[in-house]
Order: sequence, then structure tokens, then C-alpha cells
Amino acid sequence: MRISLYTPEQEERLFIRREARTWARSGLITDEQRGIIDSRTDPGLRETNVFFRILFFLFTSTCMQAVIGFYISIFGLRNEVSIAWAVLAFGIVMSGLAEYLAGRKSFYRYGIEEALALAGMALACTGVVIFISLLHIELRLLITTAAMLASACAFWLYLRFGFLYAAVISVACACVVPFQLSLPHESERAIVAMLLVLILLTSIRAESFETSDFRKERGAMLQACLLAGIYLAVNLRLPELGRAHFGNPAPFYQPHAGFPPLFYWATYGLTFLVPALGLYHGLKRRKRIVINVSLIAALLTLATNKDYLGFMHYAWDPAILGVAMVVAAIVIMRWLANGGREARNGFTVQNLLKPENHGINLAELGAALLPGAIQAHLPPSSPDRPFSGGQSGGGGASSGY
Amino acid sequence: MNVTSLFKEMHRAGTLSSGQLDVLTELHLKKRYSVHQELRAAIYIGVLLITAGVGFTIRQYFAQLGDIAIVGSLTVGTLAAFLYCFLKGKPWSGGEVESPNILFDYVLLLGCTLYAADVGYIETQFRVLGDSWHNYLLVSAALFFFLAYRFDNRLVLSMALSTLAAWFGFQLSASFLSFHKYYRESAIAYSLVTFALGSLSHRLAVKKHFFDIYLNFTVHFLLVALLSGVVQYRFASWHLPAMAAAIAAVAVWSLRMRRFLYMLYAILYGYACLSAVVFEFIDGAAAMYIYGIVSSLTVIGLIFILSRRFKEGT
Repeated sequence: MRISLYTPEQEERLFIRREARTWARSGLITDEQRGIIDSRTDPGLRETNVFFRILFFLFTSTCMQAVIGFYISIFGLRNEVSIAWAVLAFGIVMSGLAEYLAGRKSFYRYGIEEALALAGMALACTGVVIFISLLHIELRLLITTAAMLASACAFWLYLRFGFLYAAVISVACACVVPFQLSLPHESERAIVAMLLVLILLTSIRAESFETSDFRKERGAMLQACLLAGIYLAVNLRLPELGRAHFGNPAPFYQPHAGFPPLFYWATYGLTFLVPALGLYHGLKRRKRIVINVSLIAALLTLATNKDYLGFMHYAWDPAILGVAMVVAAIVIMRWLANGGREARNGFTVQNLLKPENHGINLAELGAALLPGAIQAHLPPSSPDRPFSGGQSGGGGASSGY
Repeated sequence: MNVTSLFKEMHRAGTLSSGQLDVLTELHLKKRYSVHQELRAAIYIGVLLITAGVGFTIRQYFAQLGDIAIVGSLTVGTLAAFLYCFLKGKPWSGGEVESPNILFDYVLLLGCTLYAADVGYIETQFRVLGDSWHNYLLVSAALFFFLAYRFDNRLVLSMALSTLAAWFGFQLSASFLSFHKYYRESAIAYSLVTFALGSLSHRLAVKKHFFDIYLNFTVHFLLVALLSGVVQYRFASWHLPAMAAAIAAVAVWSLRMRRFLYMLYAILYGYACLSAVVFEFIDGAAAMYIYGIVSSLTVIGLIFILSRRFKEGT
């Protein structure tokens, strides 16, 4: 029985089209060849570009909120039962509309059906939870029920529509449950981490039987999200990141972050092990997103290492980490470039596939903020300086830049 | 159908050469796997961390280190970075120039950030220019523009444009959040200047690929300034027709060039502007909800027509 609204053949064709766009952008095929690929891979689905998709999503959400608000204000709904019925009914109608648009009208990642499906799920869950709350059950039990219901509904959306973020919502909701069981904090984190590891291992196991490229791509993205979740569960010092106090850490430092020492040191080991295993798996199976998430996790491990060990932070720590990253990148670059055909085990530093250019990217936005950030960290002027009294700034910017 | 079978089919039909078949098959099966973007990201983050570390160190230890050590080391660092770029950089060209290596762009970025820290430190500590301190910003912006054009670096161009914005009076501080008249006029003047610079560069066919960066700065500064004018004066000023004209221009340009990011800007700013005007006349929750339903359905219909016209799922 097929649960998904789209056939594997349609999804595979869309995958090929996405790949063809990248090849054309990178100059590996001509526009004419891309046209041939497009003509042979018509999925029979309605797609749109990413910006229209965002707009559709935003304005469909606005419209739905306005419709619900209008209904409630016109009928003057005040008591919980009538609100619950209304919310539940709207949830069912919106879910039905999403199904209709995706199933009958062949909308695929169009924004409209996504907003309808997500809102439908949220409203239906809210309606059910309001009804359950009328039974006056304990708050923890209510939250647990709501989380499990939302997790199940989101997972259904993932299966039905293939929205990756629905799978992430499903897992995130499931992770709320252990925190409602009145367990010790270490048990809560351990259960969450084990749950995520279990799903991750199941996903990796399942992909070995997988032949279609789109499912492999989707699986890799899901695995990267799970890896990030596991890392967030095991790194106990992440909440302190960015709150470094240069100098003696003792007044601000909570030994073992409030956890039992054995658990604390076990998680310390895991903060190294999780990124290492992720990187190994990502490199072995050539999963770009898993590699990237593992590298970010490794960077976070280095950034929180001193907090774990209770060592003193120095102002130059970020610079040392930065130099280490640049040196590591140069060493890897040189090592790869000196291999046969400028590659080792297939890994190359050559720019083979160009990313999409939307006009401005995150790095350029970050660079635009740099002068202001630099100025914000300059020392204040000393009153005993000659010529004091201005309000200037650097390279620069004004003092308030 | 899968990628491999499609390649074979196209090769048999003579629409894919043997060379292309080999390259694409290698890439698809990940037998050849580029880590170019990952290494670039690592170096970029590394440079940001170095900059942050330098900033923290100066702030924490400037009394112990002394002015000579700080200014001296920042100046040496800046000169070393710029020297590297001038020695290693490829000759100037009006078109797009590939960097000689992955590191090159980020050495230039590091040089510019060290220069910014150096000049900022000198100015905050010594007040060399007194009341005309802000002219440092213009000099810095000019230097960044020169370096961006000389070495074809979009990151440094972004720094140049934000430093120019600082010269026009824009700050990243809480006091700036109130967008009063002075800032509004400055923002409009700034956006016109950046648009003129970008257009000139584009017309002269000098680094045409920089135009998008100019345009992003122009669009946001102009539309935010005009929107704040509309919110304040509604129909009682020239801001409303100017906003309508600006949004129409952005939308038309977006459709002509098929750059739909600008359509996103046009629709979001346009909707905010329309809502600001309409809310003036709306009384009561029900009317507001009706406005929400009608306006969002109209926008959805409009985007739907555009989406069908420009079918490509880019």
C-alpha cells in the first residue's frame, strides 16, 4: 500500500531535474541538454520557485489565521467546548484541502498545501488537546499526550507529503515526552539520546536496501537532523556557549553542570565521539549534509571544551580556534591537491558543482556586519587621552555602530 | 527511470558525449566528490573567529598591551595581508576574475577587518580627526571599494557598502531603532548613491556581477525608509506614491530579469505598505479579519498567476 501522495517515479524525476539544474549551472551540460533532460523527466506535478513558495506559505498562513479569527469573532465563541469543536473542524477542513491540492491538483512543495497541511495538523491536535484538558488531567500527562499526538500527526504528514520538516517536528515532539516523566535530568537526556540513536540506526539500516536517489537524499537529510539532535542531547555545556567569562571561571561555574560526575564525563567523551562517527559515516557514504553537521558539531565541541574541563577562558581563544581551522583547511586542501588527478579517494578540492546564486548570500551579509561588530568590541576611550571628547569609530564606524 | 539510465539513454541517442557521460557518472555515483565549499566555509568561519579573538584581546588587555603594541601589530597584520593579495592576485579585469586559490579571498577579508580594527582603535583612543571623525568612514569605504574591485571580492564589497552606510549615519545600536526623519532622508540618499554606483559599474561593464549586492542594499534601505514615511504620514506626503513607484520598479525588474528574490521583497514591502494605509481606516476586529482574508487571497492569486507564467522551479 502506498501512503505517499506522490509516486516514487515522480519524486525520482524531480530529483533528476534538480541535479540537471546544478549540472547546467556548473557548466557540465548545455542548456539544450538540460532541456532534453527536462522533457524526459516531466513529473506531472506543479512546482514553483523557492521565493514564490515562501510567499505562498506566508500568505496562506495569514489567510487561515484571518479566517479562524473572523469565525470566532463573528460567532462570539467563548467556551472551551465550542472553540475546541471549531478548531478541530478547521483542522480537518484544512487537512482535506491540503490533500486535495496535493492529490488532485498535483501541487508539489508549492507553499499553499504545506501551510494548509501544517496548520491542519496543528489545529486538529489543538482541538483534541482542548477536549482532553476538559477531563482535568494532570498537566504533565496533558503535555505528554499532546506531544505524542503531535508527533504521530507530523509523522503522518511526512509519510503522506514527504515534508522533511514534518519528520523533524515528529522527532522533536517525541523528544518532549521523556522530559515529562518526572525522571532525573540525566535519565531524560539519556532516553532522548537513545531514542534518536535508535531512529538514526534504523534509518541507516533501511537505506542499505534503498535504490532510489531521492530517498537516499531525503534519508541523508533526516540523518543529519538526528545527528544534530543527538549532539544537542549529549553536550551539557552548550547552554553556556558564548557566555564565556575571561579570567577565573569559578564564580560562574557550576561543577559537572549539575549532573552526576560519571554521566558528565561520559557526555564529555560523547561530544567527541558523536561528531567523529558522524564525519566517518558522512565521508564513507559521501553524505554532504551529514559531513557538514558533523563538522559544526566538532566545532561546538572545541568551543565548549574549556567549559567542560572548567578551564579558564582567554580572550584570544577564538583567534586560536580560527587559526587552527584555517591551518587545517589549508593542510587538507594541499593534501588533496597533491593526489592523483588532484584527488584522494575521490575527494577533491576542485569546485565541481556551483551553488545557486540568488544575488546575495549569507557570507556576504555576514561581511556587511563585520565593521560594526569590530567597532563594538573596541575598548572605550580613556578620559586622560589627549584630544578626547569625540564620538568616533573605526574602519570603521561610529562609536555606536 | 534513474540518473544512470537517463545518461545511458542520452549517450545512445548522441545527445551526451562520452566525456560528459564519464564526468557526470563519476559525480552522480560520488566517485569524484568536491569538498571545495566546505573548505571555503571553514576558512571563512576561521577568519571570523580570528577577528573576534583579536577584538576580544584588544578590549580585554589594551591597558597591559599598550597602544604601540596594538597599533603596531594590527598595522603589520593589515599590511602583510594586503601585500600577499597584491603579490598573489591576478591582473585586474573588468569581468569576473577567479581567485588564485581558496585562501585568497579570505586573506583580503582578514586584511580589511584588521584595518578596520586598527583605524577604529586609533580613532577611539586618540581622536585624531576630532569632530570630523566620520571622514575616516569615507576613507575606509573608499579603500574597501578599491580592494573589492581590484581583487573581485564580493565580501569586501559588502564591507564597503556597510561602511558607506555608517558614513551616512547608520549604526547598529539601540538608539538607531527609532527611524526618525534624519535617518529616513539619509537612507533614501544612501540608497540612491548605492544604486547610482551599482548602475554606473554595470553600465561601464566593470564587475557587472557586483550589481546584485548594490541592488540588495539599495532596495532594503530605500523601501524601509519609504515604508517608515508611509507609516508616519499615510496619504499626507510624497512617501506613498514614491513607495508605490519603487515597488513597481522592483517588481518589473524582477520579472524582466527572472530574479524572483526581488519579487519577494516587492510583495512583502508592498503588503506592509498597503496594510499600514488600510489599518488607518479599519475599525473593529471583524473588518481587520476581512481585510486579512481578502488581501492575502489577492496576493495568493497574484503570485499564482506569476508562478504559472514563470514555470521554472528555480
